[in-house]
Amino acid sequence: MSDARIEGYARALFEIARAEGSLDEVEDELFRFARSYESSEALRSALTDEMIPAAKRQAIIEDLIGGKATATTTQLVSMVVGSGRGRDLPAIIDQLVLRASSAKNLEVAEVRSAVALSADQQTRLAAALANATGKQVNLKVVVDPSVLGGIVATVGDTVIDGSVRTRLDQLKARL
Amino acid sequence: MNTLIRIASFFAESEKEPRQDSEGITSHSWILPEKAEMIYGILAALIIFGLLFKFAGPSIKKAMAARTARIQKELDDAASDKASAATEAAGIRQAKGDIGAERQRLLADAAVQADAMLADGRTRLEAEVVELKARAVADIDTARGRSADELRGEIARLSATAAERAVTESINDATHQDLIEAFIQKVGASA
Repeated sequence: MSDARIEGYARALFEIARAEGSLDEVEDELFRFARSYESSEALRSALTDEMIPAAKRQAIIEDLIGGKATATTTQLVSMVVGSGRGRDLPAIIDQLVLRASSAKNLEVAEVRSAVALSADQQTRLAAALANATGKQVNLKVVVDPSVLGGIVATVGDTVIDGSVRTRLDQLKARL
Repeated sequence: MNTLIRIASFFAESEKEPRQDSEGITSHSWILPEKAEMIYGILAALIIFGLLFKFAGPSIKKAMAARTARIQKELDDAASDKASAATEAAGIRQAKGDIGAERQRLLADAAVQADAMLADGRTRLEAEVVELKARAVADIDTARGRSADELRGEIARLSATAAERAVTESINDATHQDLIEAFIQKVGASA
């Protein structure tokens, strides 16, 4: 899908979430759903298979996040999948997050950790990243077991890597 | 001698008495003609010999001379043929000698060439052996290096796998929290 169309979908989702008054929550849920979508081959196959009717793909979304996310998030994802744009869902959501962060003068900080961060850790990490980059950040935490331990933070083009995975890779390279 | 005298006497006595044969012809000798007949006969013979000598003699002489010349020519030709044959024989003998010499020369050349080829082949073989030996040594070194590299790679892979397993198994919740806190402090201090 073209960048213009992705941008169009992102703008539409952004306006709906903002109109609903749940932009922060929806944005966060969509971000986490996008990361789950990227890491699950089965989910991607199910939501992008043109042979599966749109209603059935939307039913899958409902079953998957219906009781765990807000109704707005569920309906937005269902709308994108139903319109046959499931393949571009992560790009649309990332664009939405960027737009939401820009609206708040924030920079998106994607943080990958092997375990979930507590609210306090997220607050302190956001402050630390703001201190390090000089920008206020919109922290997006992704639980990624492949990190093994530690954190990888990406703010714009800056990557701060404190993961065990990277240290092991460096050790392998030295060996 | 006495016999000859007796024969001559016999003929002389026989001519003294004429004899008559059964046909009535009378003669004085049973073998010799009468004298007149003898004279005429001798004259006729002389005339004939004279005519023959006069008219047929030149032709006979000429024929004899031609025959002599022909025979001489044949003799000369034979001598010439003999000389040619001798020359040819000498040539053949010389050619035979030349063939022998050529054979010897060819054999000598062949022997020289064979020696040269043998020496060249030996030199080339020695060079090839040296080259093959050097290549084999290089291959062995390469294989040794490759084996060492492969061994080092395998050791590194196994070490990395073991390290990853050890690290993964040693990380518990407390370690995760320590790592996260260390990261936050490090990032916060890096301003």
